Amino acid sequence: MSDHAAAHEAPTSTGIDHKKLIMWLFLASDCMFFGTLISTHLLYRKLFPAGFTDAEGHQRFIQDLFSIELTSFSTFILLMSSFLMALAVSAMHKGQLKSFRRNVLGVIIFGLIFLGCQVFEFTHFYHKGLTIQNSVLGSTFYVLTGTHGTHVAIGVLWLILLYFYSFTGKLGGHMGALDVEVAGLYWHFVDIVWIIIFTAVYLVEYLGPYGIWGSGLPAVVK
Amino acid sequence: MSHDSHHAPVACKTELAPERSDLGLYRPDRATGLIDWLTTVDHKKIGIMYGAFAMLYFLIGGVEALAIRTQLARPDNDFVTARMYNQLFTMHGTTMIFLGVMPLSAAFFNFLVPLQVGARDVAFPRLNAFSLWTFVFGAFVLNASWLFEFGHLAGWFDSFAWHKALVYTDFAPANGWFSYAPLSGTFGANGQALRFTGVGTDFWIIGIQVLGIASLAASFNFICTIINMRAKGMTMMRLPVFTWMTLVTSVLIILAFPAITVALIELMFDRAFGANFFNPSAGGQPVLWQHLFWIFGHPEVYILVLPAMGIVSEVLPTFSGKSLFGYPIIVFSGAVIGFLGFAVWSHHMFTTGLGPVPTAAFSLLTMAIAVPTGVKIFNWLGTIWGGRIRFTPPMVLALGFIWMFMCGGFSGVMHSSAPADSQQQDSYFVIAHFHYVLLGGVLLGLMAGLYFWFPKIFGRMPNAPVAYLGSALVILGFNLAFGPMHYLGLAGQPRRTHTYHAGNGWETWNYVATIGAYILGIGVVIVFGNLVWTAFRGKKCGNDPWDGRTLEWSLPSPVPEYNFAQAPVVATRDAFFEHKHGAKKIGLENDGGEAGVHMPSQSWMPMLASAGFLFIGFGMPMMAMGIPHAGWLVISGLGVLFLGIWLWALEGPGGYMLKTPAPSGAPAPAETVAH
Repeated sequence: MSDHAAAHEAPTSTGIDHKKLIMWLFLASDCMFFGTLISTHLLYRKLFPAGFTDAEGHQRFIQDLFSIELTSFSTFILLMSSFLMALAVSAMHKGQLKSFRRNVLGVIIFGLIFLGCQVFEFTHFYHKGLTIQNSVLGSTFYVLTGTHGTHVAIGVLWLILLYFYSFTGKLGGHMGALDVEVAGLYWHFVDIVWIIIFTAVYLVEYLGPYGIWGSGLPAVVK
Repeated sequence: MSHDSHHAPVACKTELAPERSDLGLYRPDRATGLIDWLTTVDHKKIGIMYGAFAMLYFLIGGVEALAIRTQLARPDNDFVTARMYNQLFTMHGTTMIFLGVMPLSAAFFNFLVPLQVGARDVAFPRLNAFSLWTFVFGAFVLNASWLFEFGHLAGWFDSFAWHKALVYTDFAPANGWFSYAPLSGTFGANGQALRFTGVGTDFWIIGIQVLGIASLAASFNFICTIINMRAKGMTMMRLPVFTWMTLVTSVLIILAFPAITVALIELMFDRAFGANFFNPSAGGQPVLWQHLFWIFGHPEVYILVLPAMGIVSEVLPTFSGKSLFGYPIIVFSGAVIGFLGFAVWSHHMFTTGLGPVPTAAFSLLTMAIAVPTGVKIFNWLGTIWGGRIRFTPPMVLALGFIWMFMCGGFSGVMHSSAPADSQQQDSYFVIAHFHYVLLGGVLLGLMAGLYFWFPKIFGRMPNAPVAYLGSALVILGFNLAFGPMHYLGLAGQPRRTHTYHAGNGWETWNYVATIGAYILGIGVVIVFGNLVWTAFRGKKCGNDPWDGRTLEWSLPSPVPEYNFAQAPVVATRDAFFEHKHGAKKIGLENDGGEAGVHMPSQSWMPMLASAGFLFIGFGMPMMAMGIPHAGWLVISGLGVLFLGIWLWALEGPGGYMLKTPAPSGAPAPAETVAH
């Protein structure tokens, strides 16, 4: 294996490894992907700032729905998972396999906590009357945050596989560190996208006396 | 290790000892014949397969076009029903764009890019195979909808209970290649998801989605290859123009396709899960679909045309005996076209009522994008000006490209004027315009490329008289078919309408257009038939029959699987031409090539992973149709996809060493030059 791997370490024109370059290209593409989804959500928020109507026909405000405390908590967890991911990448570069495993296990657990919060949030919102079918808000919200959740889930799956692979003894050297670093790039990107979603979808609803779209709950009532 | 035997260089891969991968599975390295083609990671074989599938779909799309023209030959004709007509023009457009032109361009990318940058393969050989098979399965899903349509027409489904639920009757896609919402979407409040169109739209959604994944994966790979795998001395400004245009096209693909990916996901959620993205009854905005589609759709136009421009930029200098006039300007214009291509999408939507400011802005930008295009045309003219022109078949087709593409460009600039455009919208004038660009431009350019590089691909020379005959018929038939449509459009004939009444003054020119379409069809069959015959039976030719300019012509024909026995060192643009006729020779890098070249192992896994899309592709439409348990087909497809990727990762790249001929110190000298 090592002999074969040597052939893939041939110097590249730019000095950047192929795997790292292709991950950056994928992330560039993914920027446009999330950009389109976030734009869809914001466009419809501007068009229909009033929130949605639940099954009983009551007008509901989006601030009614959100639990900003819970989402802040899950955002914090995801940020900290990025911190652990950076430690895992650094450990792998130094060849400290045990430290890598410890940190990557932390990332996996934090990722699962984030996903758990999202499942709770979706269930909670559904019971409060927001469904994918009853309003445009439901469609854009669930599809946008659900797509992000899918990205996190893929990342968790990837890291779980890397975690178990590290026990086979084949994850090591420059190529091993590169594989972990590429997974790290993906993980950090998914984290950054969440920061943007958290700001554009959650936080801005609390700006100004009636939310940024001007028709939310008065800030004092909240 | 179990595969130590793979470390000894072999002369031919069939001599390899059986190798087990890290998983304990045998790798198909020694395979020949069909299994070799199914598991190959060789960019040249993958390119040939892309080309073969593209030609097949060109013929299918051509048959659909001829059916359309037959229907329109006479007023009040009933050759096909209105329902069938909708399916024909939708599948014609979709097939030609996604299954004809794009894969044929991809065939050139695959075959040429590693050769032109001086590399032994693409950056990710197995990912390349994955792109090919994903394209093949996506194309199959899209076209399989025809089988459902024929089954429905034959009454095979009548006994099934679920068939009664299908109040809508089109099985093949019938929304046009743009699938505008709300026609393609849903209506009705609270997730009723009532639909205007049948399961064909669901096939279209998932088919385009899968084809998009294939294009994205391929583009990541090509950008990596071009940026990262250039031979020593091959600086960016020494890259052949075709490789440059591949780079620009690939960047366009990775930035434009996400918009259609998201749009398709949203439309799929509307149809399958009752979401409201484009549902007008629930406040969804169908015009959002138009924006998302054209944010992808206009860059897509340049994704189609830039590779052809790259091909022409290689063909013209070769047969003019001159270097390309204004190389940096041509490269820069290509990049500017790519950049501006993202800023003109709303000129497809002038009649939606954007308001005066956006309309004016998009008008101006659309006019602006004609500038780099015009610059390119003048540079091509400058290239042939004063040259020793050889009218070989590729040159004839390339000159046809310039002329026809320019005509398409002229009517294109007319569309940039919003008031004029609102008159031409949805008329045959638009059809005339984009066929001049896409057929007179892109297809002629791609045909020029086929005739130019076929001797390199197969080591055989296409028959020239047959090629001239085919090219003449294509250009004649094409102008006869689409020239009159300018008039028909300005005289008011609407697009996408299955028939017209007599007495509007449209009869004569429609009849002429149909005759032209048949001549065009015969021409295309001759052009492609000549190529297929050449691939198997053509006369053998030397390694450099055209007095070529770029690195690929320095290699034997057909190109050996390792491409370069020793990596070249490039000292100038048009490296091989300078090597033959100038002072700057191509050097050879001492990269250990004499001890054997490292080849990547073949693999089943890319195809296995792609096969997941086959399940998803059939599962999603059936799920949207409400067939019970169809969701499990989708889930099993995801499972197959995951399994394929997992095994792919675990088996590792593998590889073996291949002996190369003893280096002679310099690339083979130029052989007989045909004049």
